[in-house]
Amino acid sequence: MAPPARYCVPGERLCSVDEATAGGGTYTRHGFIFSSLAGCLEKRSEDNGLPVVSVVRDAESQLLPDVGAVVTCKVCSINSRFAKVHILYVGSTPLKSTFRGTIRREDIRATEKDKISLGDAQSNYLLSTAENELGVVVARSEAGVHMVPISWCEMQCPRTHTKDFRKVARVQPQFLQT
Amino acid sequence: MAATELLSDEGYRADGRRPAELRKVRARMGVFTQADGSAYIEQGNTKALAVVYGPHEIRGPRSKALPDRALVNCRYSMATFSTGERRRRPHGDRQAGELALLLRQTFEAAILTQLYPRSQIDIYVQILQADGGNYCAGVNAATLAVMDAGIPMRDYVCASSAGLAEDTPLADLSSPEEAAGGPQLVLALLPAAGHIALLQLSARLHQERLEAALEAAGAACHALHAVLDRVVRERLREVTALLGD
Repeated sequence: MAPPARYCVPGERLCSVDEATAGGGTYTRHGFIFSSLAGCLEKRSEDNGLPVVSVVRDAESQLLPDVGAVVTCKVCSINSRFAKVHILYVGSTPLKSTFRGTIRREDIRATEKDKISLGDAQSNYLLSTAENELGVVVARSEAGVHMVPISWCEMQCPRTHTKDFRKVARVQPQFLQT
Repeated sequence: MAATELLSDEGYRADGRRPAELRKVRARMGVFTQADGSAYIEQGNTKALAVVYGPHEIRGPRSKALPDRALVNCRYSMATFSTGERRRRPHGDRQAGELALLLRQTFEAAILTQLYPRSQIDIYVQILQADGGNYCAGVNAATLAVMDAGIPMRDYVCASSAGLAEDTPLADLSSPEEAAGGPQLVLALLPAAGHIALLQLSARLHQERLEAALEAAGAACHALHAVLDRVVRERLREVTALLGD
């Protein structure tokens, strides 16, 4: 049986910054750590140095796509210059509402950058697939079947055996869920 | 003329309260499941409902997006049946627009908006029954709703009004007291730090009396903070008990 959790409310002073480092759901002011959420206090001790205090809620609050985050998107429109996508997941956390993003043509591959255009970004998030681990994970062929990757740049339809060019992702094992 | 009648000879107000006494406060968090956060509050006969959505992607023109913090979008409306005489338009009049702007300023001071750049947080407040201190009830309900949505805030925002009867400061004015025409002070406070998020004075007031009125409003905010705090902790216990089963 866990010890009864301490409930925190916004503006409650938790401890001094000398005693711990501020984690999620907290902020620091005048050398003290304050809670910024209504939730339970959690103190995790780090191997070296100060423990991390954070305030956690049962319901995960809304998360925003961050610079450097790996996201899962669905392509909703495509043209010769860019693809418009809806961002559905950040890492492995689903978003409550989707965010719009853009993958520009020159950001798809690390090589074959034929031209660089710095046009005005119409969308909030500029995404890139220019890494081996990034790219197309799931695709449907014109016949409506899930296509099978056959190389890093091709996918094949199992029914009609037509090959299509895709920038295929080599998904890292830690992102594969059973 | 009316100011003298606000306090009886025995020192009681028209509704039987003492000068510094608040009206009865009842509040509930999480009244809707559709919204990200919601709350309902009753302060005497004033009843307010607040709903919070977000943070989500900017709706409307993208030029509104702020590169370093979230946009707080507020709407204040009064139900057609909230006042003694039926209102024509529930929202969209000048006063509602102004109060929405004040609401936005108040909550930009409290919400840690820099955590959510380029996104938007919507706060919708509706007054269901107006009996004085409508804006204050709206702010208090919105505080609970923002907390219910799990949006990080520096502190609670507690709002209360104060007036003066001759020299005696009155806390938490009711509708007849507001209508008496004396000066009315509206204060929104971050109680733990003592920061003022909003201070509004509706009529001329001598500088010497300002201090007393401000103190009365501050004390009322702190009293309200204690009540809201109890509501939030009660809700937290409830939620964790439900999850524990």
